[in-house]
Amino acid sequence: MILSSTSGTTFNLRRFIVRYGVYISLGVLLCVAVLITPNLYSSQTLTVLLKQSAQLGLIAIGQTLVLLVAGLDLSVGSVIFLTSVVIARVSNGDDALLPLSIGLSFVLSVVIGLANGLLITKRKIPPFVATLAIFILVQGAVQAYTRGVPGGFVPDGLSIVNQSVGFISIPVVLWLGLTAIFAFVLRNTAYGRRLYAVGSNPVTARLSGLNVDGFKLSAYVLCSSMACVAGVVLTGYVGYVDRFIASGLDLDAIAAAVVGGTLFTGGRGSVLGTFAGVLLIQVLSTMALLLGLSIQTQFIIKGVVILAAVALYSLARAD
Amino acid sequence: MKKLVLLAMMCVLLVGVGAFAQDAEPTFTPEQIEASPYLQSVLARQGEMYDTTEYAKEGPYRIALAAQGTSNSWSALFDEHARWYAEELGPDVIGELLYADAQASADIQVPQVEDLLAQEPDALILVPMGAAALAAPVERAMAQGVPVILCASSVDTDNFVTEVGTNLYASGSYLAQYLVDQLGGEGNVIVMAGIPGASTSDVMQAGAEAVFAANPGITVLDIQPGNWSTAEAKSIMETWLAQYGDEIDGVWSGGAQMSQGIVSAYLDAGQAIPPIGGGEFGNGFLRLAIENEISYAAWQYPNAMVTLCMDTALAILRGEPVPRFIDFQDSIPNTQNFTDAEGETYYNAEWSDDVFGPILFPEARLEALGFVVQGS
Repeated sequence: MILSSTSGTTFNLRRFIVRYGVYISLGVLLCVAVLITPNLYSSQTLTVLLKQSAQLGLIAIGQTLVLLVAGLDLSVGSVIFLTSVVIARVSNGDDALLPLSIGLSFVLSVVIGLANGLLITKRKIPPFVATLAIFILVQGAVQAYTRGVPGGFVPDGLSIVNQSVGFISIPVVLWLGLTAIFAFVLRNTAYGRRLYAVGSNPVTARLSGLNVDGFKLSAYVLCSSMACVAGVVLTGYVGYVDRFIASGLDLDAIAAAVVGGTLFTGGRGSVLGTFAGVLLIQVLSTMALLLGLSIQTQFIIKGVVILAAVALYSLARAD
Repeated sequence: MKKLVLLAMMCVLLVGVGAFAQDAEPTFTPEQIEASPYLQSVLARQGEMYDTTEYAKEGPYRIALAAQGTSNSWSALFDEHARWYAEELGPDVIGELLYADAQASADIQVPQVEDLLAQEPDALILVPMGAAALAAPVERAMAQGVPVILCASSVDTDNFVTEVGTNLYASGSYLAQYLVDQLGGEGNVIVMAGIPGASTSDVMQAGAEAVFAANPGITVLDIQPGNWSTAEAKSIMETWLAQYGDEIDGVWSGGAQMSQGIVSAYLDAGQAIPPIGGGEFGNGFLRLAIENEISYAAWQYPNAMVTLCMDTALAILRGEPVPRFIDFQDSIPNTQNFTDAEGETYYNAEWSDDVFGPILFPEARLEALGFVVQGS
């Protein structure tokens, strides 16, 4: 739909929705919150909201990158759990061994990202199947390593992620910082523009001389690395090796990216949109909790929001 | 006619309750019994014996164990107890322990039970991963002549020999009553439930809610599921603390892992921790509770109960009559409810946070599994 103004400029409503829909929705939701859950704006609630958003946001950045190359990564939950187990087992509560355990987790996450990328690019296995298989494989390997006992001790030093100054904590700084970095990279560098090109039309990208497989591989490695960062943050947050540490966050991260305007078909989306999508989902969850809604109602609301976002983007892009 | 039948049932159940009460166990009101099919089933089976002469045979026996399997430390210790106890009894008693690992999934467990039955065991010990999903396999086992011992949970059929566990409704009530007593019958509580739909979680929650409902001075501010996850419980507790702050006078929790998340949220927020009805003999929770001088009540669900399940299977195969509901609290030492006053006697500084006691097997086996703190 195109509206003409008297000044001769044109206003494309559909493009406006695609570009700014998530920000407008977030703004509306925040206005509604003033009326129905004013305590959302208490300093303590906002601090908690931002901290929990950061946990989801770190995973969602990586998920956005693979979605941009028309991929999907279902293995992030296993990377987070693996990171948690490695930190607890290798350090066994010793702060001095924390850098080593985090370094080892990071190396393992890169290996997992490479495995995902190689299965998808070289063996032509669909991303859903490849990353699901890797998820199962990593979970199995962790079970074998721990013999079903994800024990060990999380070093006290990692609890630093729980400290905050005002609204700002280390996870929030990481989330804001990495969002800014990836937003800049995607928008202003050749790498970012080529990533979009690869996701938008891989055939054309290949004919243009781009190393399509290399770009896809890099997206999966980055996604897995971001899951490792989220795993470090979550391990410090929980202070305990929790088998359910990534429960729900892995799929919520995909939802946040989609709500933020990133297409499953690749080539469209942004980490800034995902940033707003994360906030939208987290604000909704917090509002539901503040209203004392049952978990069933919370799931229904979340499902409706995701469906509404996808439907809106589909309609807007149908033109 | 229906009312007469219901009245007769209630009378039978109340007699059961009376017998139950003689052992200084909690009593239940007719309304609570009527509202809980679980409670009706447990109370009805509590005074009942099962004639097992049809299963009597000479040993050594082949016993099938369909366990929860590799999923968490509780189940790892459950399996270790089973292996240790089979060795203790010796090959003349248990010739073979057939084992299946359900990975905590009902979908995986259903075909596994079929596979175990195909091997014609003398008895089946089942840790059901789903009350509805496992009902049909249990009935098929009984029809095949394999006596079924339910261990740690129940199924949606009465066609089994016996169940080893505890009254979960009473456990939930006990934790809630502790809070009511601590608060002098007046105050605000929040309820952190387990996994919605999981019978263990739902039954405990129902027991707690019945107690809170019976005390009009108690206000339940909110009920949310923490899904037996430390991370999820902490996340919810943080939001509750932001919303209600020091209005929360007590916390009910359906599991020690969640209680750890709750305590962690309080510590991060720098707020005083109110009484918690939701401890367990879990070393991590006990450590946190001792370090932070938390007032709490704890229930128990010991992984060591598998030894009692194995003893029960052997009794059945010897043709001895067995009760249709066996409470481990009556047989395994140190499995009764307790409070912070006894917490230090349960805590073991040499164990890792993941250990759920009591542990019946030697310390060396615990160390081999990686549950002993290095250098301790």
